[in-house]
Amino acid sequence: MFEIGIPFINYRIAFAQGGYLLLVFLLPLLWLVSFRSLAGLGRNRRIIALAMRSIVLFAFIVALAEIQVLKVSEKIAVYYLLDQSESIPQHQRQLMLDYVQREVVKHRNSERGDLAGVIIFGREALVEIQAFDEDLPSIGQIEGYRELETDATNLAAALRQAVASFPEDAAKRVVVVTDGNENLGSARSVAPTLAENGIGIDVVPIKLGERGEIVMDKMTLPNMVRKGQPVSSRIVLSNLGDEDVAGKLTVVRSVGDREQLLDERQVTLHPGKNMFLVEQDLNQSGVFTYKARFSPDDPRSDIMSENNETTAFTHVRGKGRILIIEDWEHPGRFDYLAGRLMENELEVDVVPSNNLFNSLAELQAYDCVILADVPRSSGETATTVTNFSDERIDMLVRNTAQMGCGLIMMGGPNSFGAGGWVNTEIEKAMPVDFQIKNSKIVPVGALVLMMHASEMEQGNYWQKVVGMEAVKALGPMDYCGCIHWENNTGNDAWLWNAPRGLFRVGENRRTMVARLNRMAPGDMPAFEPAMKMTLNALQGVKAAVKHVIVISDGDPVPPSPFTIAKFVKAKIQISTVAIGSHGPPSAGPMQKLATDTGGKFYVVTNPKALPRIYQREARRVARPLVYEPEDGVTPQVMDYHEIHGMTPQQLPPISGFVLTTVKDNPLVEVSIRSPKPAEPDNATILASWTFGLGRTAVFTTDAGNRWATEWTAWPEYDRFFTQMVRWAMRPVEENGTFLTSTNVRDGKVQIAITALDDESNVINLLDMTATAIAPDLTAFTVPIRQIAPGRYVGEFTTEKPGSYYLSVNPGMQDVEVNGVMQRRPRAQIVTGVNVAYSAEYRDRETNLALLHALAQTRPVGGESGMVADGDFTAEAMNDFLELDTFRHTLAKAISSQDIWPLCLLIGACMFFGDVFVRRVAVDWSWTEPVVQWIRTKLGRTVEEEPEGETRLERLRRRKEQVSGQMEERRAAARFEPMEEANLDEVVQEASAASTSIESPTETRTSNSIAPTVDEQDNYTARLMKAKKDALKNRDKRG
Amino acid sequence: MMGNNQLMPNSHRFATDSQNVQTNRRSMHRRTMLATIAASATMGVTGCLPSTSASEGTLEEVWGKRGQRKGQFQRPRAITVDDEDRLYIVDMTGRIQVFDRGGVFQRAWRTPTIENGRPSGLGISRDGLIMVADTHYFQVLFYTKLGEPQPNRTLGGTCGNSPGEFNFVTDVVQDSLGNYYVADYGEVDRIQKLDPNGQSIYQWGSQGSGKRQFQRPNSLAMGPNDHLWVADACNHRIQVYDVALSAPRLVQVWGSHGVAAGQLRYPYDLILTDDENLIVVEFGNHRVQKFGLDGQAVASFGSAGRDEGQFTQPWGAAVDSRNRVHVLDSYNHRVQRIRI
Repeated sequence: MFEIGIPFINYRIAFAQGGYLLLVFLLPLLWLVSFRSLAGLGRNRRIIALAMRSIVLFAFIVALAEIQVLKVSEKIAVYYLLDQSESIPQHQRQLMLDYVQREVVKHRNSERGDLAGVIIFGREALVEIQAFDEDLPSIGQIEGYRELETDATNLAAALRQAVASFPEDAAKRVVVVTDGNENLGSARSVAPTLAENGIGIDVVPIKLGERGEIVMDKMTLPNMVRKGQPVSSRIVLSNLGDEDVAGKLTVVRSVGDREQLLDERQVTLHPGKNMFLVEQDLNQSGVFTYKARFSPDDPRSDIMSENNETTAFTHVRGKGRILIIEDWEHPGRFDYLAGRLMENELEVDVVPSNNLFNSLAELQAYDCVILADVPRSSGETATTVTNFSDERIDMLVRNTAQMGCGLIMMGGPNSFGAGGWVNTEIEKAMPVDFQIKNSKIVPVGALVLMMHASEMEQGNYWQKVVGMEAVKALGPMDYCGCIHWENNTGNDAWLWNAPRGLFRVGENRRTMVARLNRMAPGDMPAFEPAMKMTLNALQGVKAAVKHVIVISDGDPVPPSPFTIAKFVKAKIQISTVAIGSHGPPSAGPMQKLATDTGGKFYVVTNPKALPRIYQREARRVARPLVYEPEDGVTPQVMDYHEIHGMTPQQLPPISGFVLTTVKDNPLVEVSIRSPKPAEPDNATILASWTFGLGRTAVFTTDAGNRWATEWTAWPEYDRFFTQMVRWAMRPVEENGTFLTSTNVRDGKVQIAITALDDESNVINLLDMTATAIAPDLTAFTVPIRQIAPGRYVGEFTTEKPGSYYLSVNPGMQDVEVNGVMQRRPRAQIVTGVNVAYSAEYRDRETNLALLHALAQTRPVGGESGMVADGDFTAEAMNDFLELDTFRHTLAKAISSQDIWPLCLLIGACMFFGDVFVRRVAVDWSWTEPVVQWIRTKLGRTVEEEPEGETRLERLRRRKEQVSGQMEERRAAARFEPMEEANLDEVVQEASAASTSIESPTETRTSNSIAPTVDEQDNYTARLMKAKKDALKNRDKRG
Repeated sequence: MMGNNQLMPNSHRFATDSQNVQTNRRSMHRRTMLATIAASATMGVTGCLPSTSASEGTLEEVWGKRGQRKGQFQRPRAITVDDEDRLYIVDMTGRIQVFDRGGVFQRAWRTPTIENGRPSGLGISRDGLIMVADTHYFQVLFYTKLGEPQPNRTLGGTCGNSPGEFNFVTDVVQDSLGNYYVADYGEVDRIQKLDPNGQSIYQWGSQGSGKRQFQRPNSLAMGPNDHLWVADACNHRIQVYDVALSAPRLVQVWGSHGVAAGQLRYPYDLILTDDENLIVVEFGNHRVQKFGLDGQAVASFGSAGRDEGQFTQPWGAAVDSRNRVHVLDSYNHRVQRIRI
């Protein structure tokens, strides 16, 4: 690169291929050759043509050399990277923005156009303020804080974000305000990238306090104990200070949602490690969670309280523990079953559906979960409607798929498809689908959604959400329509272009969701027209259940009593959802509409309740899935299966069940069917399969409350249900011993398993695998390898604090079954580990080594950065402001632009000009009269000169003109120039004339030839005649 | 018929440039010329007028755009004009913005709260205060022209059907004696007459489509001889009552549901003009119609769309001292000034 500076302005010229500039030495040669060849053009034209040729050649040369214009910018852009991770005390995090604002005000050079921006970082990095050329706004608090995860420090991400965020036309610097305790990424590895990009790094270190600190190191428990076995747990605490710290140690044990205070004692922690023992008996089976917490008497003796707690798990093996979840609106329907299971040595907990588990940990207490005629959502009003959230459903499914727990769905009119479980993860986990694809088997439902929530905050969003919930809950054969006020046309309109407004959901489900996504309902003036359209549409479809859900802020004019009466007559119920808080005027008519037609009325002030309401309402349409033939049915055992242990036979009659469809999967085993309806795939009573590490089963009739009432007197009742539950239960290892231990260190969890057989001999060469579930319920595989005889270990990284559950598959074993050795999988080992606090809370000192290393990174073309010194407090802030973060010690930003195409264009134009000058003789004689005319128009008077002088001047000028023109004509025509003498003669004669020559001699523009002798004579003769005439006129005037 | 086309080139005016205002004003020339050519071409081909351009009037100016900054709109819902031709416009943000007749922003203020919903009616009282139909708070608020609230003048505030209570208030006007007439709808659709001190005198109307019934009386206008004109929006008709008497007397009812000239679809606003005509803004037909006081259709302007001269669900209009109609093109978030 070859550069030339342009004085006084911040531009430079550069040539990427400077070698081509040597071609400029061709210019003298060009001049030499052209000067001679252009001799015939006359002096001026020759010079012009030569200049143009030179420019053409020069432009060509600089284009070859790839000429560029470089603009040098004096601006500096500074990004402040503010560490908002939890290792820094909150007040210091808030102080950072104050520092940045003051620093920018003090040092930013506005004349230079300096820019300042802010990036905040924790687990990731976010641009809080994009760099701009003004002082930073005083926003009071960091806005991006809500979106930032602060449980980790990822300085490297912040540096990368800064590199990507800098503007191109400024020198660049980052100012890192941090304690340097990174626990994600590596800032050192990113620093060279900044240096290569010319980005300087200044550091403002946050020095952490030096007070005492208590850290809960760990709590140990045996991984698996037998019921009734005494258990002692060890709790290890570290006192990192120099003095004793007194406080209270609390240990809590929980199983499921029940919590029990195990121990609470006053202790004194000496500097260094402190260990405490807690002993207890465990008389209950399940997975127990222990939580230990230390609370210092003087909070000032501990910097961070977040690291004072730890959790541990133990699994108490027993006979089996079952969780029955029943509908809270209909409690007690499964009490009989629960009682029989308990009689058969199973521990049973019955919980209502409005008091569900909140974590996967709670589910670990159970070996099998039964969803007993429980709908997905239940309740009658907006405040009482409860549902299984997607997250809870996910927990249930993962508890089976990854942790091996059994899952059974039992029937009743509120279960399966009739319970609104269609299209949920539960349906995927079950051996049957909850929808019927054959309309001959089951009557269909029809649902119309009427949307009018325009005045509600985020009304459009919530209408889309509820619309999709409703569509999701419908079966494929059901009809669905959505009516709204269309702004473009100013009419009520159906959302999808069905002939009558309604489509079957089946193949149109995706289209419906897509249309709902684009929906923008307008402000419907009156319900009446839309109600009429709805009535017509619903009357036009054959459906067993027809239902309308109206969502509105209630200000459209209500439908007429006449229209409402038609709905009542057609047995179409209308449920109304009044959103927003318009008050009674809106609620009254909407309530009346629901009451008159037999629907439900909901008042919703919190839109989060809306999806639950729509799930609840959509269930009304799913009612046809309940199959209750008048004379009942007699279920038939199809094949022998472990789940019931019965050979083919008839079972006691039932009066109903819920229709389902057997999944098209060879793993599904349907062991009991109903003879009706005729389609066997829809007549399942009992089906099962293995789902992931666990087993799931469906029993589509109930357990004796409504449909299977005759079963309670059946002698096989206990055996049937106990065996079904035991089949699905999480298996318990009876052979051999697997001792597990977990350890958390440096952000990693290590699991170690010691495998012993019944004689305490080690078991080698087991093909072990493990699945872990993170706190956010994501599952991942943990490789297990053998490191010593009978000892196996695995390891995984913990990115988030919380409970991690592990399900270890110990591999296969040989088992004797009916005298025959068979290879069977061993029972899962379930364990867990708790990462009590983020790595953020482990760091108690500023990582100055890293910060100095970053500052010393020397950017290309600039100087290394600086490290500010002082305490980062409001009082000492001025010390930090001494560091000018806008000092110009960095490489100036240079932007380049190729201009060789422009040079080529100029060259091309000049080439044309060269040809033009040589080939075309332009007559400029018209310019003088024009100039004269303009001057006259402008009112300028020409000072009168002595007549004789004027005339002489004109004649001289004229002579020069004529001389030049003739010379040019001759040159253009390659003829020899006219003899000078002839012209002189003409002028002399003309000057003697008294009248001025008004118009010059006509210029020949055609292919002129040299005047012949005759012509010259004629010409001379005309001049002589003119002279004579002039003399004659003068005599007359005289 | 071409002579009646609203897009005559020589009828254009250019607004004066505003200072510090975010208005969006466009010249009509190019579009007008294209529209005229297109209309002529259509006539030449089909031999008749395009069905969507059965409008009569002149578009003069279009201004305003979507946004929440000064001079911008978010679905403007009501408009009124004072005696100095200043325009007061309320939109879905709950702001009342003041503009001069050319659309230059002057000032703005907000109603106390909009959590339940936004105002949907504006008027000028006889003593020059701005009356705001705070629809979802069941009250009429009063402000000076500078936006200073006059809480002692507030009408209503309690939801209910009893005298002095309101449902969704849509509009308010005064008669020659200073009595207020407040239209509301909800559980009952009615008009209440209140004395100048805000005390209820009488009320009439119920929900329905019969005589003396209303379905969303959305706009009121007081005519000569204290005749009250009511836009009965969801009955698609206009009702006129003589309220100078001790009880309101129904004088005339006209209007039918439809899209043809003279028919109505959701008339949301009406204004009486000095030349004794009635301007009706149709939410459902996306147009403005001019009627004689006998209900005879005189002219029509606008069709559905987003181009200039077209409307999307207009909510209101106001007529200034020069008889120019400022139409709130609500779902296009702008104001169009027309002569009709």
